[in-house]
Amino acid sequence: MNILLVEPDRALAKTYAATLIDAGHNVVAAATAQSAIQAADAMKPDLVILELQLVEHSGIEFLYEFRSYSDWKSIPVVVQSYVPPAEFNDSWELLKNELGVQAYLYKPIATLKLLLEGVEEWSVAMHKS
Amino acid sequence: MGREDSGGTPVLSQQLLLSVAEQLKLPLLQIARKAEHARLSGADNSDEIQATADMALRLIDNYALAVRLATEQYQLSLESVSVSSVLYDAGQQLHDLAKAYDVDLQLNISGRFSPVQAHRQGLQAALVSLGAALIEALPAQSAQPQLKLQLAAHRSRYGIVAGVYSDTKQLSNEALHHGRELLRTSRQPLLQLSHSSGSGVFVADAILHAMNLRLQTSRHHRLYGLGAVLQPNYQTQLV
Repeated sequence: MNILLVEPDRALAKTYAATLIDAGHNVVAAATAQSAIQAADAMKPDLVILELQLVEHSGIEFLYEFRSYSDWKSIPVVVQSYVPPAEFNDSWELLKNELGVQAYLYKPIATLKLLLEGVEEWSVAMHKS
Repeated sequence: MGREDSGGTPVLSQQLLLSVAEQLKLPLLQIARKAEHARLSGADNSDEIQATADMALRLIDNYALAVRLATEQYQLSLESVSVSSVLYDAGQQLHDLAKAYDVDLQLNISGRFSPVQAHRQGLQAALVSLGAALIEALPAQSAQPQLKLQLAAHRSRYGIVAGVYSDTKQLSNEALHHGRELLRTSRQPLLQLSHSSGSGVFVADAILHAMNLRLQTSRHHRLYGLGAVLQPNYQTQLV
């Protein structure tokens, strides 16, 4: 599975990428919204894992840009962020319905095991569809 | 505890504590995930885990120092300080963090500078806090694989400026001023600089403020950064 990992923290990105690569996935990491769009263009991702807190342009701005291209409208996006779930109450509907976010993982409690299980589920769902 | 915030002065309050707490999520998360990755893969990353934990401890220490200095629980003993030696020691403390973030940390202390009148521990803590914040922030701003950060000093018409610099444009004075105001309300008050709460910048700001110094944006040759203006100790110069 081609995974685009949008993670601004380089040390964390290395750990997430190594875990996903160990599980047999092809991973490209991008730190900014702009470099993520360029990476998506180059790699044609099957799944995007996205942090919302980025420098300059936020993850939500990235999502609006990403979904504006017809090729990328149906690519699953999983938000994995520091932003606590309680702060999502107002924006979850927007993220889910308008921007096609499949799931939300709160970083402090989302273990690597949980991430890998989620990726497997989305991979199976993708192949069925 | 607290100091009235006018937007232009450092905030030392519950907001700064909250900012430090938010910032500490990052190293704790890194430690938790690195340990889990080691368990899953068998990789030995104990060096990285130790470096991350050490840096988190320094952030807490530096925050505590800022509070002590500001609340005058700590005797502010000014002494004649060599800027070069403070920069060297700060570089030593930041070395492992820079390595973890693939940042090439350079020390530029080639000039001869007069000793300055400062609180040595405070000045070093401010430079380490600032350096750590910029080391984490640089890779979040750029797709470049190898980034450079310089701990440096230079003379200006206002005194000797000691700071942390990179070739990526950093904050403007306005953005720093705005960040101090946003610390009250935003999870990411230094949006142009950092993906996190950027608390290292605010801790440095608070320490320098307690020492009657000021954090400001600064240029060093063609590099951009943040630094503090220090006054030479003319008494020592005469000796």
